[in-house]
Amino acid sequence: MVHASVRRKGLVYAGCGAAVLVGAALAFTLVSPDRATARSGSFVRDGEAGFVVTHFAFALGPDAAKTGGCPTGMSKNVAEIFGETPAGQRRPGEGDEEYGQRVEAGGQSISASPDGKNFCMHPELAPFEPNTRILTSVNAPAEGIDLDNQVSRSEVDARRGLLDFTGVDGAEGVDNQFWRLVGCSRSFQENGPSNGFEVEMYTGSWGILIALRGVDDLKNDDHVDVGIHANADPIQLSPTRAALEYATYTMDQDKAFRAVTTGWIENGVLITKPVDVRFHNVVNGMHLERPLRDARIRASLSHSGVLKGILAGYTPVGDLYDFQFAYRNGKDASGAPSAMGRRLGSANGAARVLGHTCQGVYQSMNRLADGHPNPKTGKFTSISTQYRFEARPAFVIDGEAKNADDKAGLQ
Amino acid sequence: MTDLSLSSLITRFAALSRRARRIAMAAGIVIIGLFLMALFGSAGEPDPAGGPPMVRRITESQYRASIADIFAADIPVAARFEKPVRSDGLIAIGTGASGMSPFAVEQYDAAAQGIAAAVLSEKRRGEFLRCQPKHETTFDEKCARSFLTDKGRLLFRRPLTEAEAAKYVELARNVQGRLGSFYDGLELSLYTMLISPEFLFRIERIAPGDGDGTGTLDAFSKASRLSFFLTNSTPDAELLRAAEAGELEYGWGLRRQVNRLMVSDRFAGAVRAFFTDMLQFDRFADLSKDPAIYPAFNSDVATDAQEQTLRTIVEHLITEQGDYRELFTTRDTFLTRPLGVIYRTPVPTRGGWDAVTFDESANRAGIQSHVSFLALHSHPGRSSPTLRGYAVREIFLCQHVPDPPANVNFTAVELGAHTKMVTARDRLKRHATDASCAGCHKVMDPPGLTMEQYDGLGAFRTRENGAVINTAGSLDGVDFDTQDGLAKALRNHPETPRCVAERMYKAAVGRDIVWDERYYLDWLIAGFEDDGYRIPDLMRRIVLSENFFTVTRPSAQPAGRIAESGTRSGGRI
Repeated sequence: MVHASVRRKGLVYAGCGAAVLVGAALAFTLVSPDRATARSGSFVRDGEAGFVVTHFAFALGPDAAKTGGCPTGMSKNVAEIFGETPAGQRRPGEGDEEYGQRVEAGGQSISASPDGKNFCMHPELAPFEPNTRILTSVNAPAEGIDLDNQVSRSEVDARRGLLDFTGVDGAEGVDNQFWRLVGCSRSFQENGPSNGFEVEMYTGSWGILIALRGVDDLKNDDHVDVGIHANADPIQLSPTRAALEYATYTMDQDKAFRAVTTGWIENGVLITKPVDVRFHNVVNGMHLERPLRDARIRASLSHSGVLKGILAGYTPVGDLYDFQFAYRNGKDASGAPSAMGRRLGSANGAARVLGHTCQGVYQSMNRLADGHPNPKTGKFTSISTQYRFEARPAFVIDGEAKNADDKAGLQ
Repeated sequence: MTDLSLSSLITRFAALSRRARRIAMAAGIVIIGLFLMALFGSAGEPDPAGGPPMVRRITESQYRASIADIFAADIPVAARFEKPVRSDGLIAIGTGASGMSPFAVEQYDAAAQGIAAAVLSEKRRGEFLRCQPKHETTFDEKCARSFLTDKGRLLFRRPLTEAEAAKYVELARNVQGRLGSFYDGLELSLYTMLISPEFLFRIERIAPGDGDGTGTLDAFSKASRLSFFLTNSTPDAELLRAAEAGELEYGWGLRRQVNRLMVSDRFAGAVRAFFTDMLQFDRFADLSKDPAIYPAFNSDVATDAQEQTLRTIVEHLITEQGDYRELFTTRDTFLTRPLGVIYRTPVPTRGGWDAVTFDESANRAGIQSHVSFLALHSHPGRSSPTLRGYAVREIFLCQHVPDPPANVNFTAVELGAHTKMVTARDRLKRHATDASCAGCHKVMDPPGLTMEQYDGLGAFRTRENGAVINTAGSLDGVDFDTQDGLAKALRNHPETPRCVAERMYKAAVGRDIVWDERYYLDWLIAGFEDDGYRIPDLMRRIVLSENFFTVTRPSAQPAGRIAESGTRSGGRI
């Protein structure tokens, strides 16, 4: 009996002791500050590496003037088209201002259907537009990579406008129909205003993050996990507006703007398997989406953490028309459709300034589409599109981080 | 019952053996001694020496805090304050030794106009006035007097004299007579108070007493000295009440106020203000970096870098009640995203602060490895072992390094500063061939050379111009080649705690120490050690010491208030 009593007492004491210890541990956990650990070293830490895209532009090719790729000249806008008609000729005694106004009015008249429907908003209503030029040259090179493992150089391919390019680096089978589409547009020549997105990216309108996991060797690694995400934070810049390295960015919380694939590193070049990606795009305050189907990266990875190369895939024709040329589905910051006046004005204004017609590019891109054939009709629904990019080390984190009171979890 | 009468005790004492009587007597002496010590103040404090009473201009942070405390935190102070003058390492001392420029007067005028207009604006006057006239156009003397004496007491840190009260009330009356509005009158009177020297300067007055020797500050001067030291702001109503009631003349009354102020939110503000001053953060206003070399530097980084260090200090010294010396070894800190770029650390919180502990691999230990120190003590385009070593000695160790000779030749340092495979050590080696430079560089450069692991902005690096950086350094006989080594050397340096204690006291009284205060300073530093080098205990020890309120009467100090040269104690260069 005595032994049992002592044992019970011991158990009670042990229980109390354990409770005190557990309580103390719990209290320590609760009161100890939420403190992260900071380390330094290479841009690869525990096999993980993050990047922020600092340069992003369409991968195109040398100017048409250098390659002779546009023997019938460059694409024209509606005012230029009207100006070449008999009605568009300057009348005797007509002043510059008066003539200019008449040409603009004439241009607008060929921008809409007889019942007043604007062709930028309704390109399918437009008659064939013969003044839009595409890059027909067989010899013009292009930047980019081979997307379909085929070298399309047959006469049939040539007739259909589906010739593969020879790469600027000599590679065969480069699929870059977007360059064929805009190769004869003056705004997409080397110094053209459409050839790059730094202005939007650097004002924080949108951005792209790349996250690698499972990196064992920067030279050769047979498996790495790769995330390609829209950036939810504005890019951090220096006073001279250069992108900063090692800044922290949160990946977009909308799953539609996050993609994960796998890849490998071969002789210092990161190569990824195809995955559908989607980025944000902002034009004139209109929020748009930039999708890229079967997108893949081929980019060199330096020891200092600079990832530089190509992001290539296929853009659905309708999407490409909308985010690049017509902004039909532009939204305001709240997600509501942008005012029709803004969409209409931006599309027609861009076409006028950049030197094309909405209906012309729409017809051409449908003709040049080379990806994702419709299973029923066999008609291609997407157009090969390649971007060249450069990305620099960054900390890519996941989670909500709306304000200073919220925390995002480290990826 | 036990008989405890005096006669009974004497009888019992006489009955004790000789040895027992001796023990009882010794015990009695000890008890009486302890009683007397408890009665007459802190154990071992030397006789108070004091220094001259001071006239000190309030600093920008004190001005802003005073307005926020007297009126409201959102009352705008729209002015650019004059660059402060640093004297003997502290602006707190410079405020008692510098004049006032026309620009400063202009700015005080602008600030006063804005404050008075905001306080008496139609929208906000109800918050600050406890009464109102029947009609705005009629002068309500009682109401005007109530407002002006109430606010005047807080602004002047003492009750207004009858003559002052009458002057400000009369001014308000006259203005109303001219402009028609009661509130316009109050506004002008308030503006006049705000540009008065009684507000802009802390004018210390001696309590009436006899003799030419030492005396003490009067009650309101005591309240001011106490409040600005423990809260970096003006005395609140409770402290002024205690001063008026004479409670600060007694240990219990003083302790009660000290305890109250030290547990208030404003106490952290005082610690921040002291270290902002000691670490010379005012120099950030002039700090520039070459954006081509240091692209991550911008105004956000400059602001956040100071805040990072101040947050670290407050957390370590106040929240954690930590040992001051461990500020030089602590790896705990706080970061924002702009700072994360320089520290190469992810910072999850947008627009806010994350608590961070530097891993050993991060090569950071102590506040001297913060961007606030490393960037401030560098050139716009490159790091500087000399500037950093100089700052370590001047700021953390209170050691005085002589200024460079006027004809110093910097050619060897400047030429080829960015030449391939050339490091700062190489450049300094060439420079040190000049004998007139070598003496001081031997003192300054060794601790700074270990900090060459950080570039001119404070980012970690292992190479400079392609060459591997040799980080070997030393500090007063202790060799090291890592940040950890430097951190430990600073932590264990005997001058480290001595320096902060000395600075803290000087900031409290607003002047350099006088010759007779050297024993007091030794006592203060010994107490600091006994208290585990805890800064709040040091501050409490200062304000509860007799010396804190002791002043010399002007006739006893004809030579002025600044100490004679060479009066500072401690082994210095």
